[in-house]
Amino acid sequence: MRPDDRELDDEIRSHLEIATQERVDRGEDPQSARLAALKELGYIGAVRDSVHRVWYSRWYDALMSLLQEMRIGLRSLLRTRGLAITVVVTLALGIGANAAIFSVVRNVLLRPLVNRDADRLIYIRQTAQGIGTENFLFSMPEIGDLKSRATAISAFGDFSTVEFTLIGFGGGPRVVTAGVVNGTFFDVMGLRPALGRLINTGDDGPNAAPVAVLTHRFWTAVLHADPSVVGQVIRLGPGNATVVGVLEPSVPYPAETQIIANVVTSPHHLGATMQHQRWHRMTELFGRLAPGATLEGARAELKAIHASVVRAHPESYAAGARVGLDVRTLGDQLASPARTILLLLLAAAAVIFVIACSNVANLILGRSVRRESELAVRAALGASRGALRRTLLAESLVLCAAGAVLGVALARPLVAVIARYASRFSVRALEATLDSSVLWLGAGLALAAAVLLAYVPRLPSSGRSNALSPAVGGIRITPGTNRRLKIFAITQIACSFLLLVGAGMLVATLNVMSTANTGYDMRQVLAVDVPPPASGAAGEATENFFQEATRRIGALPGVDGVASGMVVPWRDRFDFKMQFGFEGYQPAAGEENPTCMTRPISPRFFAVLGVPIVAGRDFTDLDRSDAELVAIVSQSVAQRLFPNGEAVNRHLWFDSRSGLPSEKRRIVGIVADVDDENVVQVPTTTVYLPWQQLGEPSRLFVRAAGDPYSLVPAVTRTLRDISADQAIERPTTLEDVRTQVLTPQRLNAFVFSAFGGIALLIAVVGVAGVLAFSVAARTREFGIRLAVGCEPRQLRSLVLGQGVVIATAGILAGAFGGIVLGWVASRVFDVRMPGVLPIGGAAALLVAAAILASLLPAVRASRVDVLEALRSE
Amino acid sequence: MGKPPSDPRLDLLQGTLDMLVLRTLQWGPQHGHGIGQAIRRQSDELLKVETGSLYPALHRLVKRGWLKSEWGVSESNQKAKFYRLTAAGKAQLIREQDRWSQLVHAIGRIMNPAPASED
Repeated sequence: MRPDDRELDDEIRSHLEIATQERVDRGEDPQSARLAALKELGYIGAVRDSVHRVWYSRWYDALMSLLQEMRIGLRSLLRTRGLAITVVVTLALGIGANAAIFSVVRNVLLRPLVNRDADRLIYIRQTAQGIGTENFLFSMPEIGDLKSRATAISAFGDFSTVEFTLIGFGGGPRVVTAGVVNGTFFDVMGLRPALGRLINTGDDGPNAAPVAVLTHRFWTAVLHADPSVVGQVIRLGPGNATVVGVLEPSVPYPAETQIIANVVTSPHHLGATMQHQRWHRMTELFGRLAPGATLEGARAELKAIHASVVRAHPESYAAGARVGLDVRTLGDQLASPARTILLLLLAAAAVIFVIACSNVANLILGRSVRRESELAVRAALGASRGALRRTLLAESLVLCAAGAVLGVALARPLVAVIARYASRFSVRALEATLDSSVLWLGAGLALAAAVLLAYVPRLPSSGRSNALSPAVGGIRITPGTNRRLKIFAITQIACSFLLLVGAGMLVATLNVMSTANTGYDMRQVLAVDVPPPASGAAGEATENFFQEATRRIGALPGVDGVASGMVVPWRDRFDFKMQFGFEGYQPAAGEENPTCMTRPISPRFFAVLGVPIVAGRDFTDLDRSDAELVAIVSQSVAQRLFPNGEAVNRHLWFDSRSGLPSEKRRIVGIVADVDDENVVQVPTTTVYLPWQQLGEPSRLFVRAAGDPYSLVPAVTRTLRDISADQAIERPTTLEDVRTQVLTPQRLNAFVFSAFGGIALLIAVVGVAGVLAFSVAARTREFGIRLAVGCEPRQLRSLVLGQGVVIATAGILAGAFGGIVLGWVASRVFDVRMPGVLPIGGAAALLVAAAILASLLPAVRASRVDVLEALRSE
Repeated sequence: MGKPPSDPRLDLLQGTLDMLVLRTLQWGPQHGHGIGQAIRRQSDELLKVETGSLYPALHRLVKRGWLKSEWGVSESNQKAKFYRLTAAGKAQLIREQDRWSQLVHAIGRIMNPAPASED
């Protein structure tokens, strides 16, 4: 439909023919007739352009000419394939890393939850900053106080995590992480069933039928989405429960929850301790904002109620613990652990992008200097500066578009990797997928890079006549270009330095954590979870079970000792800190009784785990419930409370406010300090009690003569022999527990090291490129130097020196930037300044890399052929 | 624009060229040069249409669907692009003609008020 330019030309030509013919018909001679017709017509180009404009807009023309330029650019880039590939891959790395991390960030921090009206769904959190606990959980009496007095919350849902042994679904006994909830929980959460029904208020109370709901992930991953599970009766902990439904796919909170059951399934929840003890905190609390209430309003009201509750019950809130309350939306609660790490990742990706861009800028700059004569010829032929810029823009667009396409393709597998990594901090990351927003991001980044790159090279200025000098193909380098090249190289080094220092910090931390002396024998001890049996037996049955297990496993070949306890170091958390009174110790005025961790253990626990007994004796089988009450304290307790070393045979007792029996217990031994909460020991005060006198064991420790894992089948068989219903989980050596616990740190260190490595690689290419370029440009100068008797060695060190200068300048710039960044970030985050080792290490690595990068150009400089060099102009 | 004051030819009023082209084509298809010549002849050489205005106008009218163009052969046996009115173009010509006579009438009343038209 639209006439193209050729048709317009045809029409104008035919107009000319007709007009001329008419004049000839009137008797003019053909020559002057044609001239007159031409004169009448005016400037043909102008006529054609004004007709052209009727059909085509200015934007269309601009786009078309850009496409044309891009076709030319593509052809010219195909001639310099190596450069094009380097640029595209570098950009792809930068764009891919950014796109992948951005989509994970988007999922975790920005995407709405599936919960109905998720912005009205809040998470209420009790904190105890005085003892370093961000989430102190709630006890039932505390929840009752909040429920009865809050007006800004229309409904509360409570959730407490318990481990149940589950028998059913056609498998053996296994331990599941379950939540025990009240009837309003699901309504508050705003979730619907995928199958069957959820738990509602009809399931509340001690007389309801026991029911359970499966989380979607458990149902799909473990039960292969079998729809017949609804209606099945399973054994859950001490009793049976009917599966009534499956929860819709949603972000589980807490993350590991597999089954959610009503209160009646857990006798503990119906017991007096749970119902009436204000200190018995194991429940998480959710709420729905009442209509008209705001988050701030609810926070203020709940804080006020909480403060008055604390005032009314001073015995349950130690002043030093600074118990407080905070309210945030569930979305924030889910995302907050991942926020810092994701923002760090995003920053690292941005740094990579800057490095990639400056490296590409260097390559492009080098290329544009080589083609300066081409640009000069075009300028001389009348191409405007705008047209030349457009040519450069077209070329960089081709490069960046290719980089973006490759980058987005690269982002797809990267998202999966990063999501798995980030899921350690927030479950929401697991749902991260690449979406169209990433395409926009990739396109945006590519466009930004393209524009940046198009403005990097200098255009030939009209004032410089020597641009058209006969040295076609020769390289001329101006001081300005050289300066730009160096600035880009320095930027790369500076950014790499930042990343490497960051990675170094993480590696150093990891190293400290994974080699610190824990005080335990890490290699020879097998820890096995033996949760309370599904039969619900307690008390004497448990005691018999563990005694029998200890005896039988102890008799197995290759076993050097067996003990039991409640906590596998670092993996299990049991941070009830109890207040103790000590005979012969008087708290100073206004000071509280000291708090200690309480650990029920069996005899030989210290021997099996390799913790030395410093004074006194170990527990024995005679320290039973009907014998004298005894305790063993850790060395720091003994030293702090009894500085003169007379701790043994003194007495201690639970503070009467703790709710535990406060009879006196005689200290019979002192053991070395071990910290089962932190892999790097912090000073801990621990009181050990024989479990026959308090508590119940649920963990077995087996000391092996050889490979601990070779004992696993025999141990499992023995335990099953004693009780067929017994779940036996996670047999691991302490060394491997530590490795598992440190996985997030290891991943952090790995990811940032990978970023640092990429940055280093790009920076080495960058420095090498700049030096190679500057050497090539100074070929003549080097030739003259050699000709007048300069040693090749001197030229080599000259170039090497340049490399070192660039690296040093980059390191200084990076350090300065790092200090500024750290200062800015410290207003938002808790910033840790790196130690000497990471800084020194990163600097040394970069200088070494710079020297390595300048070796090849240096050698080339010293091998300049004098005659060739002097003849080259 | 830059026309010597002695030139007796008149500048076309804005927007009237389209109407003149449509009117000229009322008598049958014609090529661009022929249309220009016809306007000039019929205005007693007073109106001269610049080629640089005529051709954009023709293409504008084609784009609006008032004209159709096709290649043909002129009476002097030369290849030429002929324009003819479409049905929509004929309707448009009638509209323009009405508008034009209203305009002439209105301007005429301002320039030559009737002596005692008010009372």
